[in-house]
Amino acid sequence: MLVKDAVTLKIALPKIPDIELVALEGLDRLAHHMGIAEEKIGEAKILVTEAIINALEHSGEKSPPVRVEFTMTTKELVIFVRDYGKGFEPASIGEPDIRTKMGSKNKRGWGLKVMKSMSDDFRIESGKHGTKITIRKLLT
Amino acid sequence: MEQQFTLTSEMRDNRLIISTSGYVNNVGGEAIAKEFSRHFEKGTKEVIINLAQSKVVNSVGMSFLIEIIEQLHEANGKLIFTNLDPAVEKMLSIMGLFKFAGKEPTVEHAMKSFAHQK
Repeated sequence: MLVKDAVTLKIALPKIPDIELVALEGLDRLAHHMGIAEEKIGEAKILVTEAIINALEHSGEKSPPVRVEFTMTTKELVIFVRDYGKGFEPASIGEPDIRTKMGSKNKRGWGLKVMKSMSDDFRIESGKHGTKITIRKLLT
Repeated sequence: MEQQFTLTSEMRDNRLIISTSGYVNNVGGEAIAKEFSRHFEKGTKEVIINLAQSKVVNSVGMSFLIEIIEQLHEANGKLIFTNLDPAVEKMLSIMGLFKFAGKEPTVEHAMKSFAHQK
């Protein structure tokens, strides 16, 4: 099998609607270049989408752009997403449950669960200067 | 780049079929929910959501579908998803949506599934 070196893509995303699609386009091109299976690309896209919409949600209108970095080999993808918002306490976010959500007005709040469940490693650091999310996804 | 979200709907044998195209974000999810409500108010209780042309979704968009599942559940109705991309199917499974909604490979399979429940 042809072994390719790691490739890295760095993007700064301003807070405008659907800007996460720009990152997905870059991810798609990297993944096809590396010969990654479609199913893994699909899961990677969901992880990237969730990480970016989380970051954009916590960014203020005047915050610097959200920084996104992908590092991909044929074996794994590392996604790093950094926002400069006010941060939040990840431990305070309860695990969402469909039965509870069905009786509640707030149906949202699934992003962290999706990222944790779909990734092979998930790390989050958040404080008053923003939030950093690092996700590792195996691609084989 | 992924396409802009669009939606079409049709009634077939008193069942609502909503087919989407493009990115299902909060705007797309809300549009699906509105289309559902329009028919639910008239008594439609069997609904198919065909996501064949939506390979990218987010959890905010999908959270609008919980409202649909909830209303159908309370009315003894049912929602069936069809043509799911494997990654989207995995996401909906993580969210637990298949505890209260069905999934079938195609719209035709979903129509048969509803017919067999009669």
